[in-house]
Amino acid sequence: MTSSRLLNLYTGAFLIFMFAPLVLMIVTSFNDTSPPSVTDWRGLTGKWYAFFWMDEAALRADPVLRALDRGRFVGCFGNSLQIAGIVVPLALVLGLSGAVMLTRWQSRANGLLWWVLLSPMLAPGIVLGLSALVFWGRIGVDAGMFTIIAAQLTFVAGYPMLIIMARLQRQPVELEEAAMDLGASPLRIFARITLPFLAPALFSAGVIAFLASIENYNTTMFAKGGSCTFATEIGAMARNPNGHPPVINAVGTVIILLTVGFAVTHALLQRRERA
Amino acid sequence: MIGKDVTLLGVSVTYSNGFTAVHPTDLLVRAGEFFSILGPSGCGKTTILRAVSGFVTPAAGQIKIGGQDMAGLPPNQRPTALIFQNLALFPLMSVRDNVAFGLEARGVSRRVRQRRADALLDLVALGDQADKLPGALSGGQRQRVAIARALAVEPAVLLLDEPLSALDLKLRQHMRAELRSLQKQTGVTFIYITHDQSEALTMSDRIAVMNGGKIEQVGTGDDIYSNPASAFVASFVGEVNTLPGRIIRQEGALAQVETSLGPIIARNPQNMPLGGSCVVFVRPESVQLQPQMPTNRFQVVLERRDLEGAFVTLRLLAGQGRQPIIAHLPNTGPTHASTSLTSAGFDPQAALVLPQGTLAHTGREDMPR
Repeated sequence: MTSSRLLNLYTGAFLIFMFAPLVLMIVTSFNDTSPPSVTDWRGLTGKWYAFFWMDEAALRADPVLRALDRGRFVGCFGNSLQIAGIVVPLALVLGLSGAVMLTRWQSRANGLLWWVLLSPMLAPGIVLGLSALVFWGRIGVDAGMFTIIAAQLTFVAGYPMLIIMARLQRQPVELEEAAMDLGASPLRIFARITLPFLAPALFSAGVIAFLASIENYNTTMFAKGGSCTFATEIGAMARNPNGHPPVINAVGTVIILLTVGFAVTHALLQRRERA
Repeated sequence: MIGKDVTLLGVSVTYSNGFTAVHPTDLLVRAGEFFSILGPSGCGKTTILRAVSGFVTPAAGQIKIGGQDMAGLPPNQRPTALIFQNLALFPLMSVRDNVAFGLEARGVSRRVRQRRADALLDLVALGDQADKLPGALSGGQRQRVAIARALAVEPAVLLLDEPLSALDLKLRQHMRAELRSLQKQTGVTFIYITHDQSEALTMSDRIAVMNGGKIEQVGTGDDIYSNPASAFVASFVGEVNTLPGRIIRQEGALAQVETSLGPIIARNPQNMPLGGSCVVFVRPESVQLQPQMPTNRFQVVLERRDLEGAFVTLRLLAGQGRQPIIAHLPNTGPTHASTSLTSAGFDPQAALVLPQGTLAHTGREDMPR
C-alpha cells in the first residue's frame, strides 16, 4: 500500500469519525420513533421540528411529545437570548477596552495584564461557574440570570479582545498620529478613525461572543440556580433515562445549519476585510 | 497662510532605551523658508521632525514656533502639520473627507469644510477625484491628497518626512517641482526630511546636513556642495575623490599637502595647521584630463569608462600607488576609449583640505573595482 493511499484512508476515517455522528443526528431527527434511532426506521416525519409550533391538541395526541414541557423549553431559550443580549454588548465593550489598552497603552504591566485578562478563557468552565456561584452567594446575590451573565462575561469577553487586538495591530499607528496632528481630540480619533477600522472585527467578535454565550453549558450549569438556559435545558432532557426525545436532534440540526451559516458569513466578511 | 519661523535651542532627544537620537542642537528655520534636513537613515532627522510636531518630547532644550514656546503642547495644539512617510491617509474616508478632516476636528460646518477641501483639491489638481477612496488613487495622487490634507488646517509650518521615497524616479522629479511651487504659492514654512541629496539640493532654500544625531552644517545648497564644512558633508552630498595626506606648506588661503600623488595644492578654508594630517576632497567634475596647469597634475591609467548619459564617468588609477580617481566629463561622443597612460589634474581652487573625519557610506565602497 502506498503512503498516499494510507493518507487518504486516514483522512477518510478522520472525516467519518468527525461527521458521522452529526449525519446520524440529522437523519434521526426525521425518523418517526423515540428514542432516536437509525436502525429502527418508522417513516419520515417533521413532527420533531413541528413540536415548536403545532397546536395544543395535536401535541397532546402524540405519546412522546405530550410528556415534554414546551412552555418551559421555549422559556429557557428566551432566557438564553436575554443573557446573550446582555453578555454580547458588554463583552464587546470590555474586549474593545482591553484590546485598545494592550495595543496602544504600552506599559510594563502589559505582559501580566494579557494573562490576567485571558486566564478565564483558559480556566476550566466548571471552575468559573463554581467560583461565580460561591462569590455571588457570599455577597448575598441568589444564583439566577444575573449570576449566569456575570459568570459567562468573565470568559466570553476574552474572544472579542483577541479578535479586536488582531485587527488593531494591523492598523498603522500613523493613522491615529496623523489624525492627532490634524487637531483631532483622542475621542474624535477613536470615533472617526479607529472604530470604523474595527467595524468588521467587532461584527465577527459579536457573532463569536453570541455563540459562546448561547452554547455554554458547564459554567452556566453552576451559576444558574433555579433558572435555566437553552443549553442547560437540552442537557436536562438528554439525561432522560428512557432515552431523549428526537426533538433535541431537530434542535441540533437547526443549530448546525445556523453555525454553518454564520461561519460562511464570517469567512466572506474576512475576505472583504482583507481586500 | 503665513509661515512662521522655527527655533531649536539646545534641543536633545533621548529615547526610553537610553539611545540619544539627537544631541543638543541649535537651529533656526526662517519663516516661509523651504528648509531640508539631509542625512543618512538613523541620523536623527526624523526625530527632530517628531519633536517639532510634538510626538516626541525633548530631553532638554526649547522648541519655539513663531517665538512661542511649544513645551507641553500636544501635536493637536501645535501650528504644524506633518506629512508622514507612508502618508497615513485614512483608508475608509473619501479623498474629500480626508482633506476636510482637520477642519472637522476644528468644528467647521460640513458645508464650509467641504468647500474648502474642494478648493484645496483643485489646488493640487485632484478636484475630480474627491469622491474616491485613497486606495483607488495612484501614488502621486495620494501624495497630493496628503499635502492638501495638511494644508487644510492652514499650518504655519509643514513638516514632511521623506514623502517622495515611495514614488518612482520620474514622479519623484515631477513632485519636487510641484512641492517647491506649492511652498512658494502658500508661503508656509516647509521642513523637509530626506536622505536623498539631489532632492535637498533641488528644492531647498537652505539645508542642514545631519550625522550621528548632530547637525554638521547649515547652508544653501551651493554652500554645502562647494564649501562642505566636514569630511562627512563633503562625502555625503555628491560624489567626491578623497586623498589623505599631511600639510607641508601654507600659502595664504591655500595649503600644500603631501599625498600619494605627490604635493597637491588645495584651498584651506579652516586654516588647518602645518604638519596636520588631513584629507583633500575633489569633486569628480573638477578632474580634467591632460590639464593645462602645471600644479596638481599626475599620471593616470583609464580603468573603466561608464556612460551615464549627459556625462561619462571615468574610473582612473593615478600614480605609482594606483590611487583610484573618479572623473566626470561631459559626454562629447564615443571618445576616451583608450586605456593608455595620460595625465589628469585639477585646479587648486576646486580642491579642499579638511580635517580627517567619518566619511559617508555611499555604497560604492563595496563595489568591485
